[in-house]
Amino acid sequence: MTKREIIRMVLEGKKPPYVPWSCGFTQEAKAKLQAHYGAIELEDALQNHLLKLGSDIGFFTDLGNECFQDVFGVVWDRSIDKDIGTPKEVTLKEPTLKGYVFPDPLDSRFFADIPSKIERYGDRFRVFQIGFSLYERAWTLRGMQNLLMDFYDHPDFVCELLNTIADYNIAQVKEALKYDIDAVYFGDDWGQQRGLQMGPKLWRKFIYPVLKRMYGVVHEGGKYVFIHSCGDVDELFDDLIGIGLNCFNPFQPEVMDVAALMKQYRGRLTFHGGLSTQRTLPYGAVDDVCRETERLLEMGRDGGYIFAPAHDVEGDVLLENMLAFIDVIQHQPSYRNERRQV
Amino acid sequence: MTTIDDLRQCVIEGEEERTESLVKQAMAEGKPPERILREGLIAAMTEVGRLFEAGEYYVPEMLIAARAMKSGLTLLRPQLAAANVQAVGKVVIGTVQGDLHDIGKNLVGMMLEGAGFEVIDLGTDVSPQKFVEAVQTHHPDLIGCSALLTTTMPKMKVVVEALKEAGLRGQVKVMIGGAPVTEKYGADIGADMYASDAASAATRAKQLLI
Repeated sequence: MTKREIIRMVLEGKKPPYVPWSCGFTQEAKAKLQAHYGAIELEDALQNHLLKLGSDIGFFTDLGNECFQDVFGVVWDRSIDKDIGTPKEVTLKEPTLKGYVFPDPLDSRFFADIPSKIERYGDRFRVFQIGFSLYERAWTLRGMQNLLMDFYDHPDFVCELLNTIADYNIAQVKEALKYDIDAVYFGDDWGQQRGLQMGPKLWRKFIYPVLKRMYGVVHEGGKYVFIHSCGDVDELFDDLIGIGLNCFNPFQPEVMDVAALMKQYRGRLTFHGGLSTQRTLPYGAVDDVCRETERLLEMGRDGGYIFAPAHDVEGDVLLENMLAFIDVIQHQPSYRNERRQV
Repeated sequence: MTTIDDLRQCVIEGEEERTESLVKQAMAEGKPPERILREGLIAAMTEVGRLFEAGEYYVPEMLIAARAMKSGLTLLRPQLAAANVQAVGKVVIGTVQGDLHDIGKNLVGMMLEGAGFEVIDLGTDVSPQKFVEAVQTHHPDLIGCSALLTTTMPKMKVVVEALKEAGLRGQVKVMIGGAPVTEKYGADIGADMYASDAASAATRAKQLLI
């Protein structure tokens, strides 16, 4: 079976021959791994099952001085966080879209590498990524505190902004559907360590109807919907399943009961993630990492699960700990048998 | 309902303009500024904290309530100073070095202010040395360190050590918080207090200084 078929089995609630995985790493962590693997390309060494297409965080222009501008005009300071950065200032200073022009959703850079990647990693499950897919795009433009207060102060503006972002994403999804992809992987953090940032009432009023529209377009195209949303958001799972969500990431064990949720939602929602990036990976020993990885694989044996660290692994994680979970997942006996047959 | 009851309710509901007019009305009625502060603004923010901890309020409700409280406090401040009303305590807050995340720290600052503290916000990416200098300059009762990342959390320990080295540890309490931070981590590094969110930070900070 190909990796693509195995992910499809998992998403359909069937029992896979082994637990598939797709692990991400920050630049700093990647550099440690690359030094270890030497000439072998990281993508080949990791054997991920998801092929990531498009761009999760978009494209940037280097302005110098560790500042980078995204296609929406937001300038990001990467002096500290080298992977994404922090918005330097508020782009939409007033609660209006007057005078602001959205970028071109069909910018060829989002689609340019799809054919070559599919050709090279054709056996993998293809996900077209749209990061900052709604609320996050809104707050990066408007400022987080401003946007959170706008929910009360300027609700019409919030609706307009979110729907314009959705229109941009939908145009991109429709273009991506012209390629032989399998899913759209949205990314939008709604949670805190405890509870939602905006609370369930505002989420249902403002975010939910717009998500429904975006997810609907993906399903009309016959593809699966994935979402990455950090924090304690499991109270939304039933709403999300109701509008067609197939797979949830990052599945953080520090904020949700991963074992109970996997059991509760098996057959209805697949989880991608699960390995503790706030505790076990940075502070645990190799044995702790192996134990937690094995426990997750055991939980996911019947399906509905794609293994990964719950976030891109940060640079403070020891190489030994990264190699420990990579070793455990790649040594699943049935995985090795499958590879021999391919 | 008295003017102060109305004022309290307006802050809880985040009504900024009405809060301002009710503070003015209460002052015009000759209510003591300390009473307007304690029974109006601080009582309102205590209730906001309770609603947050109970899962009825979230960040937006807390932000608009804090904004209303702040606008009322700005009007009241000259009267408080004239009446020589002291703050509950003085707190220096900041996000630790290497971390630019500010909303959690800002919420803590707002809730502390709403609990009657004087708050000095050092911003984000604050070095241990800056915390030390702020203690020397402002003589706070408490410093609050925030971190969102596992990669920056260890700087909290460095702050505690820097305070010890500067001979200031005995003069100031240290509270910590942020997504990866735990009660145990606080105990391990010798912090005086850990809070899991902005509302409990304000409550626990008050308890710590009693």
